[in-house]
Amino acid sequence: MAGTADPVSERRSGSLRAAPTQRRGEALLLLGPCVCYLIVFSVYPLVSSLVRSFEDYDSRRDTWRWIGLGNYRHLFGDQQFWHTVEHTAAFTFGSVALQVVGGVALAFFFNQRLRGATIVRGILILPMLLTPVVVGLMWRALLNPDWGMANWLLAKAGHSNVPWLSDPGTALRTLIMVDTWQWTPFVFIIVFARLQALPTEVFEAGEVDGAGWFQRTRYITMPLLLPAIAFAAIFRSIDAFRTFDLVYGLTNGGPVQATNTLSYQAFQNGFEFQHYGYASAISYVMVIVAAIGLTLLLRFVRVRRVAY
Amino acid sequence: MSLRLLRRCLSYLVLIVIGLVGIAPFAFLLILSFKTRLEVLDVPPSLHLHWATIRENYRTVIHDKGFLTFIRNSVVVTGAATVIALLLGVPAGYAFSRLRFRGSDTWASTILSFRFMPPVAVAIPIYLMIRQLSLANTDWGLILPYVAFSLPLVVWIMIGFFDEIPREIDDAALVDGCTRATVLLRVLLPLVRPGIIVAATFGVIFIWNEFLVGLYIISAQDKQTIPIAAAGLLTTESPIDWNIAATVGVLTVIPILIFSIFVQRYIVRGITSGAVR
Repeated sequence: MAGTADPVSERRSGSLRAAPTQRRGEALLLLGPCVCYLIVFSVYPLVSSLVRSFEDYDSRRDTWRWIGLGNYRHLFGDQQFWHTVEHTAAFTFGSVALQVVGGVALAFFFNQRLRGATIVRGILILPMLLTPVVVGLMWRALLNPDWGMANWLLAKAGHSNVPWLSDPGTALRTLIMVDTWQWTPFVFIIVFARLQALPTEVFEAGEVDGAGWFQRTRYITMPLLLPAIAFAAIFRSIDAFRTFDLVYGLTNGGPVQATNTLSYQAFQNGFEFQHYGYASAISYVMVIVAAIGLTLLLRFVRVRRVAY
Repeated sequence: MSLRLLRRCLSYLVLIVIGLVGIAPFAFLLILSFKTRLEVLDVPPSLHLHWATIRENYRTVIHDKGFLTFIRNSVVVTGAATVIALLLGVPAGYAFSRLRFRGSDTWASTILSFRFMPPVAVAIPIYLMIRQLSLANTDWGLILPYVAFSLPLVVWIMIGFFDEIPREIDDAALVDGCTRATVLLRVLLPLVRPGIIVAATFGVIFIWNEFLVGLYIISAQDKQTIPIAAAGLLTTESPIDWNIAATVGVLTVIPILIFSIFVQRYIVRGITSGAVR
């Protein structure tokens, strides 16, 4: 879920000029509680994870032992880890690509007056709000090989049964499909809002100049939408990259690890096998990747401010 | 003229298909929850509306599984965590928007970055921390980490909304002799009310659905929130009792459904507030 306000905006043009000392005191008073809270419950756990990633946990004696880069060496030598990296990359790329295409298509589609469109847009918001376990449940029911709706419909259309979740080759694609069902509306909402906010004069000018629908879309609308699309895509990429709940609800990483993502692998190692140190190492690889994605997003947010 | 009509019909057809794709999984789940264990297996899928079966399924979940307890826990945890996150986050958002101090941008970006950290990276230390504080299996064991998870979002949403209010309003109030505190409480808070609602909405949605961290902090059944309980009920029961699993699903969705009807426009506003100004 996303709140994506952008504070970098007009902070610099502030017209308030309080005395520096007074300002520092006020800032401390207003920010102190929030910052302290985050230090205890966000910074400390993150630092602790980093430290733990250099340690080995003995679950029988409940003790930690420093092993330096041991966990990382083990991790990078582990075939399963690289498979997981591959799945995570394929999942992230596949679902974000589909969601961007779908979201933009939906935005263009809803950019016309249709009766009942508001209701359908309301329906589209729902999947994003759902408890992930329930998303998994719904789709496991729909895709059930014996009595699920999906295979029954396919059979009626003359198609043979699809092993949605039971075949290693299709399971990851099924995961991408469900994620796309759930999150395409997110991209849609962002792109649609941008589309509706575009000044109509530009299009009228284009029309006067004799540009057809395709040309107007290609040379006027798309460039204007691009920042919003890129923003949504990066945002979704970071979220898709750390997908955990969908895997938990839908496939548990299977069959034969085919849908294991980094989050899920870290979760399993940590909570199921109690390999806290190893799990921390996996999650720290994720933190670094997420940080790179975030840098991209933040730079982009700033650039966008200048561009508009 | 007829071409336009055809296009119009086609548009409505597409609209209906989009709506159906969006709602089909919900509908199928609802239908499953009306069936007996054996009727679930019907091919082609059948629709059964026997009041006795429906009542039996829902009674089993609400009564025998203690669903009301889960709702109570979810409401308490979500309510408390959201309120605390707002109490901490709204003043911080105000400070970032209005006060200029060294490194304020860096601080703000750092706070936002927590929103994007993979939850597994903090899940284990938080779990160990809560266990050490002897808060496992208590409401506070969930509230404390959930505040931290929703705080970055609240701060960022609030910065955006405070930024939208012209500074001249602060200046005018200050000139009139108000203190900074009164300006915030009496003048600005009423003006950023939509922002507070947006922030609260996103906090509620996030906390209501969270279960990765909660799953291990809470093991006692009478302290589980809805998603934690659902995770337990669904993994253990779904292979056999699909009708019961579906009923759990439906009962989990209903509160979200009702909530979303009221806050729909705030959700849209929250998602678009950053990307589209």
